[in-house]
This record gives sequence, C-alpha cells and structure tokens, in this order.
Amino acid sequence: METGVNSKIVDVTQVSKEVLDKQKLRKQNFEYWGPTPREARKAAVAKKKGLTDKRMPIEQAVNMYVKDGINLGIGGFVNTRVPTAILWNIVKKGAKDLTLSLQSSSICCEWLAGMMIVNPDHVSIKRVELAWWGYEVIGIAPLLRYLAGNQMIEIDDYTNYGMSVRFKAGAMGIPFIPVRDHGGSDMELVNRGAMIQCPFSGDNTYLVPACHPDVGIIHVPMCDMYGNARIFGALCTCPEIAQAAAHTIMSTETIIDNMAIRRYPNLTEIPYPVVDAVCEQQFGSWPGAVYGMYWFDMEHFLYFRSMCDEFRKTGNKDKLKAYYDEYFFGCDTWDDFIAKIVPHKKLIELRKRDGQQPIIIS
Amino acid sequence: MVTLADVNPFEMIAFTGSRVLEDNTIVFVGTGLPIIAAMHAQMTHAPNVNLIFEAGSLASILEQGMPLSVGDTRAFRKAVFAKGLCAVFELTQRGYADYAFIGGAQIDMYGNVCSTYEGGDYLKPRVRFPGSGGAGAMAANCEKTIAIMALEKRRFVKKVDFITSIGFGDGSPDYRLKAGVMGSGPYRVITNQALFGFDEKTRRMMLLEYLPGKSPEAIQELVDFELLISPDVREMAIPTEHDLFLLQKKCDTEGFFLKRKVVEQ
Repeated sequence: METGVNSKIVDVTQVSKEVLDKQKLRKQNFEYWGPTPREARKAAVAKKKGLTDKRMPIEQAVNMYVKDGINLGIGGFVNTRVPTAILWNIVKKGAKDLTLSLQSSSICCEWLAGMMIVNPDHVSIKRVELAWWGYEVIGIAPLLRYLAGNQMIEIDDYTNYGMSVRFKAGAMGIPFIPVRDHGGSDMELVNRGAMIQCPFSGDNTYLVPACHPDVGIIHVPMCDMYGNARIFGALCTCPEIAQAAAHTIMSTETIIDNMAIRRYPNLTEIPYPVVDAVCEQQFGSWPGAVYGMYWFDMEHFLYFRSMCDEFRKTGNKDKLKAYYDEYFFGCDTWDDFIAKIVPHKKLIELRKRDGQQPIIIS
Repeated sequence: MVTLADVNPFEMIAFTGSRVLEDNTIVFVGTGLPIIAAMHAQMTHAPNVNLIFEAGSLASILEQGMPLSVGDTRAFRKAVFAKGLCAVFELTQRGYADYAFIGGAQIDMYGNVCSTYEGGDYLKPRVRFPGSGGAGAMAANCEKTIAIMALEKRRFVKKVDFITSIGFGDGSPDYRLKAGVMGSGPYRVITNQALFGFDEKTRRMMLLEYLPGKSPEAIQELVDFELLISPDVREMAIPTEHDLFLLQKKCDTEGFFLKRKVVEQ
C-alpha cells in the first residue's frame, strides 16, 4: 500500500533514491508473503475441530506440511525455546524458496542458511520478514551477513514489536494493525508497512500487515495430545504465531494428560484447534533453552557459529558440508542426533543450569 | 583508592549507565552492559528500578546471576509478570517504560541510531547487522532513550547510514510527532570516555561529562560532528572499590561483557 503519507524521514534518509524507488514499488504492489487473511481463514475453517489425538513423529508432520515455497513462521526468541528439532527435520527433508517469518532468531535461521550454502538445490531461503537474526552474546550471524551482503535473500525489516504484532494481527483475524513504532525510521521507507493519518486522532500512524505463515513451528514444554499447550517463562510470540499460521507443528518436551489441562485451563497458552501436529521430543530446543527444563548450550552455538564465520571469511564450505553430512544426514532422528552431538553428562549439566525454574506439569 | 587505571572501559560504561537511572522507574534493557548497569543501580542508589526484558518479563529478581541475553530463562526468575513480546512492548507503547537502553553501530548529533547495516546501501550492504530487534520499538516508545556506544569517529557520524532507532530525526521540533512515536526521545549517550545529553532547544548532542584527564577538545576529536558543550561540563565520576566489586563479583561474574570474553556486535 502506498498512502502518500510519510513522516519527515523522507527529508533525512541517506538511503539512495534508487533503493527507495524499488522499496516504494514493493509497497505499491503489496502482497502477503504467505496466505492472505482470507486464505488463512479458509485453512482454519477447513480443519476438523474435534479433540483428536494429533501425536506423530516430527518427520511425519514435516512431510505433511512443509513444501517448497511456503512461509515458515519460526517460534521462540533468539536462543530461547527455539524449535530446533522441527527445523532439523526440515533441513533433512529439504525445502526450497522458503519465506521465513520471525521476530528474532539465531541457529534456526543459520542452520537453514548453512544448508543453502552447502546445497541450494536442497534448501533455499528466498526472503525473510524479520526484526533480528543473530546470536546476541555469542555474536552476529555470519551467514545472514553473507547472504545479505551478496544479495542472495530479500529482507523485510521490522522491529521486534512490529513482527510480533504482525503475528498478533494474523492471530486476531485482522489484515493489519496500527503501531507507534517504525515511523520516522528508515524502516518506514523500506519495509512493507504504510503510514496513514489516523481517521480518529489525526496522528500519523504506522500500519503493519498481518503475517500468516503457511506453517508455524513452535516448541513448548508441555501440551496434551490434542495440542493444548502450556508455556512457562517467556511466551515469546509463540501463541500468536501458532494462531496466525495456516498450520502449526508443535514439538513438546512432554505430553501431559488432558485432565491436567482442564484442571487449570487458564494455563493454556495455545488452544488445540490451532495445532495440527503434536510431536513429543525431549531436548527439542537444544542448544536453545527451555524454562523449567534446561539452559542454553553455549558451546554448540559457539562451535557452529565459528564454522559459519570461517566460511564467510574463506569461502571454503568443506567444514560446513561435513557438519551437515555427519549431524543431519548421518542421523535418522533427532534422538540419534542428540546422542551423537552432546555428551550425556552435558545434558545433565544443562538441566542443572536451568536452576529448577518453577513450572506446573500436572 | 581506585584510580582510573583500575577501571576498564566497559566498567566505566556500566557504572555511568547505572548513575543516570533514577529510582522508581521501569527500564527496558538490551543485552549486555545495559543489564549490568541496571543491576548495579538496583544494588546501590536505585533499589526500586525494575526491568523489562523483551522476551516478556517485568521486575524479575536476578538471583541466578546476570542473564546472558534478554531471552535468557534467568531473566524471568521471580518476575511479577511473564508473558511475551507483545505484552511488554504494549506496556511500553502505553507509557509504562521510562528508559530504553539500546546500542548500535552509528549515532548522529540528533541521536538517531543505525543498527541495520554499515556501508553500501540497504539492498547491497557492505556489512549487514542483525537488524532492529527491539531497539527501534524501544527508541520510539520508551519515554527516554539511553544509547551505549563506543566513542569513535566512525560511529559518531554526521549522518547515519540508516535510521534504525529514531532519535530527533533532523532536529525539527515536530519530527517525532510526525513520526507517530510516543516517547520523548534521546536522553543520554554513554561511552567509556564521555557522557552526552541533548540540548533542549536544538535537540543536538551535548557533552555533559568527560573522562578525568581528558578535555572537551579531546572528546570532540573523536566525534565527526560538532558537539555542543554544556556550560556545566565536568569530569565523569569514577567507580569506587565497592562499585567495582559489585560490577565484577555481583553482576557480570564471568566477565562476559566487562571482560569481553565473547565479543558482541
């Protein structure tokens, strides 16, 4: 959408006219990078709404829902409760021309990017709508830097609130949502949102489009076999992503009884109808952290990141290729992968490092 | 007696960050030095400073030690409220976050900050950074923005390559109003060698304090635009032995940020 309304960023911006014209065209020819709100509605309506047992292995869920060209919504936040087990299965299966949607993420994006570098005929990222792609304390993401610097992916930049609330708009079934950020920054000019004059207050107000992933991938500490999920610690944007997505694959550390869910229904953060697959998977967020369960495995983040950084600097893919060959294609399941890559003692230590954050299981 | 030689640059930043926080406020913190600054403030002059971590917590008790990131499970320990990103950014948008504590790669005289890329152009960046993350939203809607930067000419620039986090734009009085943001904007810029504020009339960056032994002229040398100098310009306070003890033994005990064991961007 191009409204003709802008803040004074137009007088200040240092972005070249050529780029601004391109981005303006992208606004004018706006299209949702995934299901439209009406298509997402249709997907919801088409689902059978009974309480049915949705348990299945991750591999089966990924085969059912992950196709070339989809918008993949990635749950968690940076290194917290990231859906690595599901992502790992997606890398193994392969998926091309992906659109990624996320607020902030680290290894999930880098794993996909690394596979794209090793074999673009197996995995490729076409574009990303995001706020942040990096590792926080561990460092910037080398492969984002590589892909963006070489113009290998299209990027749509928002703030963490912007992306979170885009999923929220999707979850609410509305096509866009007004926000009080992005305006006056260069994101106003380059992303796919639009400035309007608010019909009520008269204020310049920024609008961001709803985001409906084709497939949302979420990891939770516990849910029942129908998909009613509890989350402790940071909810991140998981409830919104699950509800916005046309289909949601949810991995869970543990499956709890439906009567436990019914005892404290206020604790349910994600309701069953929005979930399509429930995949029980311990350590399903490793090397990420799950509140109440285990803490980050810093060592692995550092290990994988340094391998990626070496590739960025030298252009040599051999180590990366060997990593995928051994730890992705050399393992049948996530359990095999975990057994191969993390010593059991380390897993025990990660559980201890969580510090017994209080959670309610039954 | 602590002398300047005993204090490393990161300790100086964290200590100064702590000093600028008032008690009975809510601080929306970014990863690293902002967390340390806020923890130090809680242990000293501002026990009722409460933190927002953007993954979704309010007023946690950091008894497990410093969270390594704003999504760290430790950042949710004994919080009074634990939800997700939408919830805390909406509290902020509504007006309940007094300070934003952000970082970035470049800053200009009006406090606009770039953390998206450096060099090249948006579609062909020389160095692409992770992106806005929470910073753009914090700078827009927390009431006051505090930026932490390294004091270098390549960072204190005439024009930032890309405005990721809004400051005062071009300095015009209605820049932020026209932008539709709610916070009052840049408040302090903290570096290891100087503390800056902003002139009320011109909204330009103003030197408030400089490292003992330096001079306003020496600070100007490290900045690519013309600084305003406060009429009350003075030397920065340096941490006491107790402050250093708190920073090293109670905040960043493993030296992740103060000793830069892991380099963050």
